Amino acid sequence: MLFRQAGILHTNYAQDRALFPIPADRWMIGGLLLLAAAAPLFLNSLYLSSYLLPWLVWTAAALGLNLILGWAGQFHLGYAAVMGIGAYAAVHAQRNGVPWEIAIVLAGLTAAVIGSVFAFAALRVKGLYLALSTLALQFVMDWTISHVPAISGGTQATLQAPDIRLLGQAVTSDAGLYYVALVWCVLVTTFMLNLRRTALGRALVAVREKDYAAAVIGVNSFYFKLVAFATSSFIAGVSGAVLIGTFYHAVTPEQFSVDVSIQALAMVIVGGLGSIIGSYFGAGFILLMPGAMNSFISWLTGLFGFSLGIETLAHLPHALYGALIIGFLLIEPLGLGKIYGNIRDYLLVWPFGYVKK
Amino acid sequence: MDILLLLESALNGALVGLMYSLVAMGIVLIYKSSSVPNLAQGAMVMLAGYVILAFANQLHLPLWAAIPLGIVTMFVIGVGIERVALRRLAGRPIIMILMMTLGIEIFLRAGSMTIWGGTSRPLPIGISDSPLFLGPLLINRAYAVGAGVAVAIFVLLVLFFRTRIGVVLRAISDDYTAAWSVGISVERGVALSWAISAVVATIAAVLWGSVQGVDQSLALLLLKGVTVAVLGGLDSIGGALLAGILLGIVEGTASVVLDPLLGGASRELVDAAMLILTIMLRPHGLFGRHDIERV
Amino acid sequence: MAAITDTTADNVLTLNNVEVVYDYVSLAIKGVSLEVPKGGMVALLGANGAGKSTTLKSISGLLAAERGEVRRGEVTFQGHNINALMPQDRVKLGIAHVLEGRRVFEHLTPDENLIAASAVRSRHDAARNKDRVYSYFPRLFERRGSAAGYLSGGEQQMLAIGRALMTQPKLLMLDEPSLGLAPFLVAEIFQILSRINREDGLSVLLVEQNAIAALEIVSHGYLIESGRIVMHDTAEALKKNPDIQEFYLGGAENKNFHDIKHYRRRKRWLT
Repeated sequence: MLFRQAGILHTNYAQDRALFPIPADRWMIGGLLLLAAAAPLFLNSLYLSSYLLPWLVWTAAALGLNLILGWAGQFHLGYAAVMGIGAYAAVHAQRNGVPWEIAIVLAGLTAAVIGSVFAFAALRVKGLYLALSTLALQFVMDWTISHVPAISGGTQATLQAPDIRLLGQAVTSDAGLYYVALVWCVLVTTFMLNLRRTALGRALVAVREKDYAAAVIGVNSFYFKLVAFATSSFIAGVSGAVLIGTFYHAVTPEQFSVDVSIQALAMVIVGGLGSIIGSYFGAGFILLMPGAMNSFISWLTGLFGFSLGIETLAHLPHALYGALIIGFLLIEPLGLGKIYGNIRDYLLVWPFGYVKK
Repeated sequence: MDILLLLESALNGALVGLMYSLVAMGIVLIYKSSSVPNLAQGAMVMLAGYVILAFANQLHLPLWAAIPLGIVTMFVIGVGIERVALRRLAGRPIIMILMMTLGIEIFLRAGSMTIWGGTSRPLPIGISDSPLFLGPLLINRAYAVGAGVAVAIFVLLVLFFRTRIGVVLRAISDDYTAAWSVGISVERGVALSWAISAVVATIAAVLWGSVQGVDQSLALLLLKGVTVAVLGGLDSIGGALLAGILLGIVEGTASVVLDPLLGGASRELVDAAMLILTIMLRPHGLFGRHDIERV
Repeated sequence: MAAITDTTADNVLTLNNVEVVYDYVSLAIKGVSLEVPKGGMVALLGANGAGKSTTLKSISGLLAAERGEVRRGEVTFQGHNINALMPQDRVKLGIAHVLEGRRVFEHLTPDENLIAASAVRSRHDAARNKDRVYSYFPRLFERRGSAAGYLSGGEQQMLAIGRALMTQPKLLMLDEPSLGLAPFLVAEIFQILSRINREDGLSVLLVEQNAIAALEIVSHGYLIESGRIVMHDTAEALKKNPDIQEFYLGGAENKNFHDIKHYRRRKRWLT
């Protein structure tokens, strides 16, 4: 990605406020979109459905969490529970004959309504106390889902998700499911990209920086916190429903446990708070890391001819992923997004480094 | 409802609650000195349990030697965690610090399972299974011992905070710039509080390990510890003790009343509800510090 | 510049062209030089934001807590360059800093405040120093058992000074000790300060906005404005200086506000 441009020169506001003000970016985005659309043609279905698809869905989910964490600055340790609400809402709606298109909207709305409970916690407390109360809410929701048979379909139960049907057509092929995930991810990304340019986005940032200072200049911080939580919960709910519909095909409470919440948080932290491209990196990193790590370890053990216990192999990726969070916070707190930004800023004017200032 | 059964559960609950206080006291110690809410306290308890077992089973030391060695090891680990991970985060937004302690939690938990595996191992410290009798009430002997140790640790901590070093630690928690200005080494004070907290975690590990074995479930004590710490006010050690008793009683009685209605496992729900209620109604807890206003 | 004839060797503290930046960017003081003679009392006067507190922090090493650093120049204490020392090492050498706004340990009793402040001294010295502090401030002894947060403002200021004395300083630096205190308390505290200075030979660097009170007890004064030392003279000379009278001693009887500002803009300190 070389940018044939020395500095950014705009002659009117429309250019300056465009989504991608630099032509090279537009070309790159277009190219990536084309690649993504053509992916089923050249990728085998293993890569498509076990790597690319969950990455896209989790990116959408991470973007929703980033809205709360990065934009509105509110801690949320119960994000997976909100995704779970959406997933269960969609599956139950579908099982009762609601078409999938409507079911996922219902999923989003249910999640938004219940997820706004978190906003009421955010109204009263912030920082540490908000983190702890959202953590507690995660436990309450986990408990409710797994202990109310009407929701979970019985204790320790797995609820089969009906096939996705778009306009009456069943979508079962790998490519079809992949396109569903792709469309959702692109939708959320577009929304988040545009959020930066709207009054809502600016208000959220104002609330994040100092909520009472925002209140002084007329930003109703409670209203915007509520909107942020509702919007993010909507994205979470739909992402949860899409994840179940396209990837898991069945729903169990463990898919949305507190560990998953922490995993989502890790995606945002590793990717970078408030960074859209970072959410892509973060989700990919956290999702692919365990697998990559496993192959790396088995390569190492093969190389040096020793063997590791099955339990060691199972837990080592988790330990590394804890170490990664620690490492990122110590070395680059703004995550992969920031690293990408640094490289991009450098290349933007390369080889004329002095243009920068 | 059988009133005796209720009383018995409340009493045993109070004892268990005191054992929760041990975890909570570790959280309070660190929060007091550096305002870091340590979400890795549960993982520290778990790690301590595995470390003691490593001394006992892998090096074949007797328990009376393995436990002090475990305490020393955890002391060093506590200092290390502060030095490596948290010192550089001083003054950063709370979101970063919380995430850091979460990262440490994951690292310690998964790390100890990587090394020692996830199967539950017993840590027998020689407390007999036969219950104690208090009139018609049956009391779990292990809980009684644990509660006694928790109270003893509390008394030791209170005495410690009256000593010169203890006063210095309290000074740091009051105002670290002022502490710096009179020559107190704030970093060393904070590191010391991590070390003490790790030692308290080790003692909790011995007691909890003897009750339920050493495995990943020790890390789940975090939820109980955090609930007790917040209920007690986050910066009050005495508050942690009393809040532990309170949570224990509520949990014990609630499980008797609610379990038949909800089909079991109501303890987690009660914990979470207590945590939410505390934060919503009284964020500074029962005994948390209101900043002193001059009259 | 008036007749200051101290040779550097007699100074307990010398600042030479010290420059401090916060956050790597904002320049707070721009080349401050000053001297505190051994056993002397010196005042550093100036308005809000002139750089007085930053100067003190560059001496006591507390800049690090606020992401500040000494970028240029040197701080010399008893002939040694102390730029690189940690705050606690500077305290050990004998530099005590009484922070602005008192900052006592509110939840500790006065007794415990004093004990906490003796961290760099031995237990034996601590006991002796405590007796000495109580002899200077008998009022603290009366209230030694109640939480420091409940003391009155004057008592808290005494405690803050007493706390600094617990470190056995050779140089005592006070940041606006008169802030928010009634005039008779200011007089009392300043009297005690000059008594300590007289009896123990303790050098004092006093930062004040209350120039009237400060110039009564010090021998020399420095005037700092916008991060630069703009005037340096004996206390007597400073009191007579028309500009000092105008801006710091409240001598502007027949000018209205507009004139003062105008005058100020025109007449910079040129010495």
